[in-house]
Amino acid sequence: MFDLVKKELSLCMHPTAFIFLSFAVLVFVPNYPYEVIFFFSSLSVFFCCMMARENGDIAFSCALPVKKEHIPLAKMLVVIGLQCAILLLVGVMGAIKGAVLPAEQYINQAGISANIVLVGNGAILLGIFNLIFFPRYFKKPDKIGVPFVIGAIVVFLLIGVFIVLRWTTPLYSITLNGLNSENTGAKIAAFAISAAVYVVLSAVSCKLSMNNFRKIDV
Amino acid sequence: MNALEVRNLTKVYPDFTLDKVSFCVPRGHIVGLIGRNGAGKSTTIKGILRLIAAEGNIDVFGKDIFKDELTVKQMIGYVGGGFRYYPMNTLSAIRKAYAPFYLTWDQSKYEKFLAQFGLSEKKKVKELSEGMKVKFALALALSHGAKLLIMDEPTSGLDPLSREEFCDIILQLVREEGVSVLFSTHITSDLMRIADDIVYISQGRILAACPLEALLGKYRLAHFPSLAEAAAANAIGVKSVKDGYEGLLTRDTQISEDTVITDATIDNIMVHLEKAAEEGRHV
Repeated sequence: MFDLVKKELSLCMHPTAFIFLSFAVLVFVPNYPYEVIFFFSSLSVFFCCMMARENGDIAFSCALPVKKEHIPLAKMLVVIGLQCAILLLVGVMGAIKGAVLPAEQYINQAGISANIVLVGNGAILLGIFNLIFFPRYFKKPDKIGVPFVIGAIVVFLLIGVFIVLRWTTPLYSITLNGLNSENTGAKIAAFAISAAVYVVLSAVSCKLSMNNFRKIDV
Repeated sequence: MNALEVRNLTKVYPDFTLDKVSFCVPRGHIVGLIGRNGAGKSTTIKGILRLIAAEGNIDVFGKDIFKDELTVKQMIGYVGGGFRYYPMNTLSAIRKAYAPFYLTWDQSKYEKFLAQFGLSEKKKVKELSEGMKVKFALALALSHGAKLLIMDEPTSGLDPLSREEFCDIILQLVREEGVSVLFSTHITSDLMRIADDIVYISQGRILAACPLEALLGKYRLAHFPSLAEAAAANAIGVKSVKDGYEGLLTRDTQISEDTVITDATIDNIMVHLEKAAEEGRHV
C-alpha cells in the first residue's frame, strides 16, 4: 500500500493538487463564500484523475503485483491527505485572520466567518464529494466528467445551503458565526460532528470504490 | 512443470466470447500467440494477468494465480506493446516508482539492460522512439527476475530492423536467463525466427496449440488451376488468387500430378484456416 501511495505522489499528482492548497489564503478576502475554497480541492481531484487517464495509470497499476482493490484505496488515501491539508490550512489561516484583524472585519457578509465551523462545513462538502465522485469514477475510470459534474453540482448546492443557513438561522448566524473564541464549545461540537460525517462518508466511499473497481475490466 | 498453464479461460462480452481457451507455455520456450485482429489475443493475455474478470484456471510455475496473485505476478514480466505510460515523466521517475513493488528488483541488472539497449534514464518517455519504448518496457520487466515474459504485440509499430533486434534480445534472454515467453503478434515472420510453439486463436477459440514445426508440417499450400480441382482435393479455405486458386492440404492428402505444392508459412495457414472457419468448415 505504501508503495502505491508513493507511486501516486510521484507519478499521478497534477500540479493543481498542491497549488490549490494555497487557496486557503482566500479566507483573508473580505465578504467571500469561503466554502468555495473546498470546491477547488475537488477540482484538483478531477485534474489528477484526468492525468491518470492520459498517463494510462490504471492499466500500469493493475499489472503491478498489488491487489486490484488497493489501487482505488491508494488514490483515495492521497486525496484524503490533501483534503485534510486544505482543511488544516483553512483552519490555521482563519485563526491567523482572527488574531490579526479587528473583530468587525472578521465577520463575513457572504457566508460564515473563517472559523472552525467553516472547516467543519468544508469537511462535509468534501465528504459528500468523495461519496458522489469516487464510486462512480472507479466504476468507469475513463469517464471522469459525469461523476465530477454531479459532484460539483451537489457541492455548489450545499454551499448555497450553508449560505442560506448563515442568514436564516440563529444557530449559524450567531452561535456558530464569528471568532473561535466566542461560543467555543458549540463551535467545537459542530466541527466534531462535521469531522465525523467526513470520516463516515469517506470510508463508505472507499468501500464502494474498491468494490466497484474489483469488478471492472481494464 | 510448465511456465504457464491456461485452462478453460472464458470471458463473455456482449459481442465477443473468449471460449474455454486452453494452452500451455513449456519452461524455456517461446510461444507465439497468433490470430487476426479481434481474435482474442489481448483478451487472453488480460485474462491471464487478471486485468479482466475472466473464468478459468491459470497456473504459473505450478502456482494458481487466483489463489496466489501477488506471488505469481512477481514472477511475470508484462510488456504491453511499447511503454505507453506516463509520457511526460522521465525513465528515472518511473523506475523509482516501479522498482519498490518487486522484492527481487536488481538495480545492477537494470543498469546493464539500459546500457545494452542504449537508454538514458534522463529521457522522458515521449522522447523515446517506439523501439526504445519496447526496450524500456523489457528492461523493467526483466530487472525483477521475471521468469515468464508475457508480451502483447510488442513488435507492432516497429521497423524491420528494430523487430530483428527485438527478436535477438528475446532469443538471448531465453538462452542466457532461461525465461519463458508468451508473445502475441500478427507479424508472423517474427515467430518464424524465434518461436518454439504456436497458439493460434480465432474468434475467441483455439484453432491450434502445438510446436511450430508440427503446425508447419501439418499443412501444405496447394495451387489449383480451377475451383473444381480444389474442391475435388478437399482443400481447406480455398480462395481465388491471381492465376487460379489456393488452399491448404494436410500432409497425407493424395494429390494429382498437376497440382503445384509448396511449404505453407504461418501466414498461409492463418489465411486459409480463417477462410475455412468463416465458411463453417471444421479443420
